[in-house]
Amino acid sequence: MSALPATMPTPRDEHWKYANLRGLARARFEPSVSPPAETVARITAALPKPLEGFERIVLIDGFVSSVSSTPSAFTTTSPISIAKLNADRYFLELNRRLRSDTLRLAVARHQKRSVEVVVVSLGTSHPAIEIALAEGAELSLIERHLPLSADATVINLVIFAVVGVHAQFELSRIVQASPKAQHVETIELRLCEGSASKFFQLTTGAALSRTTAFAAHDGRDSSLEWHAAALGEGTQSHDAFVHVAHSAPSAKTLQQFRGIAADRSRVSFTGHMRVDTNAPYAQCDQSLKCLLTGSEAEADVRPQLEILTDAVRASHGATVGKLDPDMLFYLLSRGIPEESASSLLKWAFVSDVLRRLSNPAIRAEIEYSLERVLPGAVAARSGT
Amino acid sequence: MTEIQAMLSIKDLRTTVGSRKVLDGLSLQVSAGEVHAIMGPNGSGKSTLAFTLAGRPGYDVTGGSVSYCGEDLLSLEPEARAQRGLFLGFQYPVEIPGVNNVYLLKAALNAARKQRGLPEVDALEFLMLVREKMKIMQMDESFLSRGVNEGFSGGEKKRNEILQMLVLEPSLAVLDEADSGLDIDALKVVANGVNALRAPDRAIVLVTHYQRLLDYIKPDRVHVLACGKIIRSGGPELARELEARGYDWLLIEAA
Ligand SMILES: Nc1ncnc2c1ncn2[C@@H]1O[C@H](COP(=O)(O)OP(=O)(O)OP(=O)(O)O)[C@@H](O)[C@H]1O
Ligand SMILES: [Mg+2]
Repeated sequence: MSALPATMPTPRDEHWKYANLRGLARARFEPSVSPPAETVARITAALPKPLEGFERIVLIDGFVSSVSSTPSAFTTTSPISIAKLNADRYFLELNRRLRSDTLRLAVARHQKRSVEVVVVSLGTSHPAIEIALAEGAELSLIERHLPLSADATVINLVIFAVVGVHAQFELSRIVQASPKAQHVETIELRLCEGSASKFFQLTTGAALSRTTAFAAHDGRDSSLEWHAAALGEGTQSHDAFVHVAHSAPSAKTLQQFRGIAADRSRVSFTGHMRVDTNAPYAQCDQSLKCLLTGSEAEADVRPQLEILTDAVRASHGATVGKLDPDMLFYLLSRGIPEESASSLLKWAFVSDVLRRLSNPAIRAEIEYSLERVLPGAVAARSGT
Repeated sequence: MTEIQAMLSIKDLRTTVGSRKVLDGLSLQVSAGEVHAIMGPNGSGKSTLAFTLAGRPGYDVTGGSVSYCGEDLLSLEPEARAQRGLFLGFQYPVEIPGVNNVYLLKAALNAARKQRGLPEVDALEFLMLVREKMKIMQMDESFLSRGVNEGFSGGEKKRNEILQMLVLEPSLAVLDEADSGLDIDALKVVANGVNALRAPDRAIVLVTHYQRLLDYIKPDRVHVLACGKIIRSGGPELARELEARGYDWLLIEAA
């Protein structure tokens, strides 16, 4: 195979300082093999029932293997990456080299679609999803990873989205790979004038996960909400680097991260926001928090604001802390067992992010995934 | 009163908080059916006593013993104490945003039921129980769906403590300044709530600064906590005497 136009990141690369590069270096990124028909049939039969009102598309090891309705015709050449640094493009280029299918989702002018993409990984996969929203289009997309295999699967996923003028995009992701999986992903969003995008991500699975994301406000008055939560336990490591560039006036970004590092896990999030000279009247709000619950756990949150113009309204906060002992004691003093009490408080901590989810079906789905790691927590919110 | 009958028997209790010896040889007996009031100057250790009984981490017992319903209370985890019917009403109830108020009530009730070998409470039965108790506390149902104490006013937090107590029906309630920060009407509501719990098989320990509360909740015994111990005990008339004379005369006598 000829050399990639990019090289594997190293700890010297600014955006990869907290990534588990040793773990990534051990991952074997091989071309994926098309799953046999009986495997596809078996998996398809085992899938949970589709979300009501959503078209379902299933990706097995990166192959588009079942589509409940035909995706709209959509032709494009693969978009140009926003990522400028070689290191940031490495996994992207690797995906382009090794990917099998590219799932293209397009929503025509003023049309509305709700799509559920189920991602199943059995071996090595390089899923690729390219999304285009035309002017005034609306897309609600939920992407769920089902940990159907207990093996050490390897995933290198790429998502590209262009959110057209005045389009509305909601992308909700549940990254819950198998406990031994290695999971890398590159996400790029181009936001056109007057568009509104909401991004949610819950990461609970994988031995190691790394998210590299770039979002660019290319048109004026565009808005982006980026809400992410990551829960690490055992020796898991979850690392995210999210770069948001304001390149046009009056754009808004709200970014929230809530991470919980239990046991000996590592959770880190770097949120970099850049407001260019030609992007005045920007509004940037950032709140990054991590909870350390394991004595040998590590957590890092790094807010980075780079503002090159005046007239910007910005706020940011970043904290790493422990479970509040007063809250914990209050719950214990009511007879709540210690494990449930700390589960409740973790839930409460993450709920800052969840309460922004407007779609009840997606919210229920995300809460259900969270319930697996924080038992009893869903009931605590709904009070049932 | 023999020691065997006392529901709560505290003997020579010594508690250190941080590096400070706060309780220094405190003894107290409370029998089922009784209401005891504990008064004393600011910083004398009233809340420390309450927290020590509830098992708050950081309140280190360096000596003495506490038996509760025949068990060694100090050997139990805080949640086990609560499950066995000990309830602490906080002087400063804690806000827990994101944890639903009614959920806490239900989870707490179920934890206590489990300890007694009972099944989880039926949803409808629970709702009716909570509604009935909220009526006593004159609380709006909207409080149920809010986060625990989240954004509650000082008085609302105190009502919520008593509501929890009424739902849990503890054998022993230790109420730390249930009356502080309450308006005149709320004081009556809280007193009503506490009186509703009075029963021959239950005991209540009220920490308070004011005689006023004791006009509504008639105590069997009144104690003065100062210098880390109970320096004087008496009947309801002791509270009135304190109201009139303050603590100085007692402190001088004790010294
Ligand atoms: N962590 C700590 N380190 C040192 N001293 C402490 C600590 N916590 C409490 N204390 C001290 O212990 C003493 C007893 O406090 P406590 O809260 O029990 O008093 P109190 O009788 O309840 O007072 P009040 O009437 O004001 O509520 C006080 O002097 C207080 O400053
Ligand atoms: Mg006090």
